[in-house]
Amino acid sequence: MTVLPANDIVGTNKSRRPVGLLLVAAPVLLVCWLIIWPIISAIIRTIWLPDAAAEKRFSLETYQFFFSDQYSINNLMVTLWTTAVTALILLLICLPIALYLRFATNRIAAYVQGLAIFPMFVPSIILSYAFIRVLGPNGTVDLLLNAVHLPHIRSPYLTPWGPVLGLVWDNIPLTVLILLSGLGNVSNQSIEAARDVGAGRLAVLWHIILPRISNSLLVAVSFTVLGIFSAFTLPYVLGPAAPEMMGPFMQRTFRDLNDPTTAITQAVIAFGFCIVFGLFYVYSVAKNRAP
Amino acid sequence: MAVLDIQGVTKKFSTTTAVDDFTLTVADGELVCLLGPSGSGKSTLLRMIGGFETATSGLITIDGEDVTRVPPERRPTGMVFQSHALWTHMNVFNNLAFGLKLRRLPKAEIKRKVEAVLDLVGLGGYGSRATTQLSGGQQQRVALARSLVLEPKILLLDEPFASLDQHLRERLREEVRDIQQRLKITTLFVTHGQDEALALADRIVVMRDGHTEQADRPDVVYREPATPFVAGFIGSMNLVDGTIANGVFTHTGFAVPLAAADGPATLAVRPEALDIVPAAGAGMAKIHRVTDYGTHAIVDVDLPDGVRLKAMVGEARNWSAGQAIDLKPRAFAAYRYNAAIFRSLDNG
Repeated sequence: MTVLPANDIVGTNKSRRPVGLLLVAAPVLLVCWLIIWPIISAIIRTIWLPDAAAEKRFSLETYQFFFSDQYSINNLMVTLWTTAVTALILLLICLPIALYLRFATNRIAAYVQGLAIFPMFVPSIILSYAFIRVLGPNGTVDLLLNAVHLPHIRSPYLTPWGPVLGLVWDNIPLTVLILLSGLGNVSNQSIEAARDVGAGRLAVLWHIILPRISNSLLVAVSFTVLGIFSAFTLPYVLGPAAPEMMGPFMQRTFRDLNDPTTAITQAVIAFGFCIVFGLFYVYSVAKNRAP
Repeated sequence: MAVLDIQGVTKKFSTTTAVDDFTLTVADGELVCLLGPSGSGKSTLLRMIGGFETATSGLITIDGEDVTRVPPERRPTGMVFQSHALWTHMNVFNNLAFGLKLRRLPKAEIKRKVEAVLDLVGLGGYGSRATTQLSGGQQQRVALARSLVLEPKILLLDEPFASLDQHLRERLREEVRDIQQRLKITTLFVTHGQDEALALADRIVVMRDGHTEQADRPDVVYREPATPFVAGFIGSMNLVDGTIANGVFTHTGFAVPLAAADGPATLAVRPEALDIVPAAGAGMAKIHRVTDYGTHAIVDVDLPDGVRLKAMVGEARNWSAGQAIDLKPRAFAAYRYNAAIFRSLDNG
């Protein structure tokens, strides 16, 4: 009987290469078809516009309009403001939760984790209406305050703080999970070693834990920013009518004003901001994978 | 330069008692090895001394000062962990300087101290290296240097060489011993490697189920184990259950004269103290296997009831499987109910 060498059974590198490429081909083609092509198409449609004679020519007039229109700029600004405030509040809320979940050894931690992940299973529309019923005018909080003869609250509903509160609640699970996965890479012994050389809790957090989870922080912020820029339901239901966030703004421009070119321009501008954080994310993942 | 005193320390984890009423005094400049199998409580005890676990009861003092409930950052101890626990986002210099910076020492002094301790551990000039660029042995040296640079009163080492290969482990333990003797630093070393303990320690504390089985000099622990557990744990040991009657220990044909009261007993004899001689007839035992290690050979012998013993011989070629032999222990001890009842005068 002839014994074949191992590479005859598993295949040589050369023969395996097409199989590997075929395996990634399907998702790559899907990404190209559903993401890359629409992006390229959107950019082309916003810079290759028909003139008076209906002949297409290169033009940046839709972008000029966006950046000269105060209403559009206000919408972009309120989106950036909401993004920054939400990201900051999320980190301030989620970092202590993630730290607690990483280092707590008692049973309560399991319940806290359950609570932190719970918003993931609540659809945005239900969250929005729950928010209105609780914090809106004549909501539960108002009724309770009224019952004890206290004045009405200034409801965040229909103010820029409405989407902020909703988006924070909605993004807590993902942010906690990302930070928790980063904290999983911080070994107990490296923290004990820091305490052993004299570091108190704050020094351990600042000098040991935060530098070790900086990539996770970056990823969490990137995901939050990407999510907020594409958010629609929460800003639409909870936010003010004007200025409005980019999601509802695009939808209204497209549907109510029946102006797809301007809506696509707004989308490309929103994409321009998102791509910066997307590149941050890709850079951070690549850095982690570097040998 | 410090004395570590542990008095009646107990540590319980819910229903489990990890360390049970443990008492030990480590003299100034002494190196004591805590030796025991997994789960014997040695690492828990070390972590209590380092402040990473709180004793359920008992007292830990360093130079007479009670540190039982002092957090690790305020204890005069330095710990070297099994996994090095280096901070990979800092280079070697910053790993060592971190503790000094927390103490707000001037930059020049930090630099001087770090360079001096790097020289001490043989890593002079490695300050700017990333810790991930170092070999396992170099990483453990950095971890040792990180503890030493703060000049702790007590140095605690928690199986620091466990992840290293045998050759490196032997070299590093010699270096640690040299450094410890040069600095005269009181040291507690946890290991489950008997060779490490015998080679390093001024005193070995053999632990089992959270308490001390024996605490003595390495040669005494090796030659005069206080209990059958110590006898079996330190070095290779043949343990044979039998009976003593009229001054003779017997176990199915294997008879050894010894002066002890009649009753059940366990005979302990090390392979190097068990001589074998060719038998004229059937003999006490038969050779099962001969394993040649070059410098010596180990002969596995089977007693008639199947109990297997090991004997060390100089030359493998004089012996063969199936050969009938007689056994002549030169040095041995007998135990009854966990206490030694007889020790032969010849220590082999």
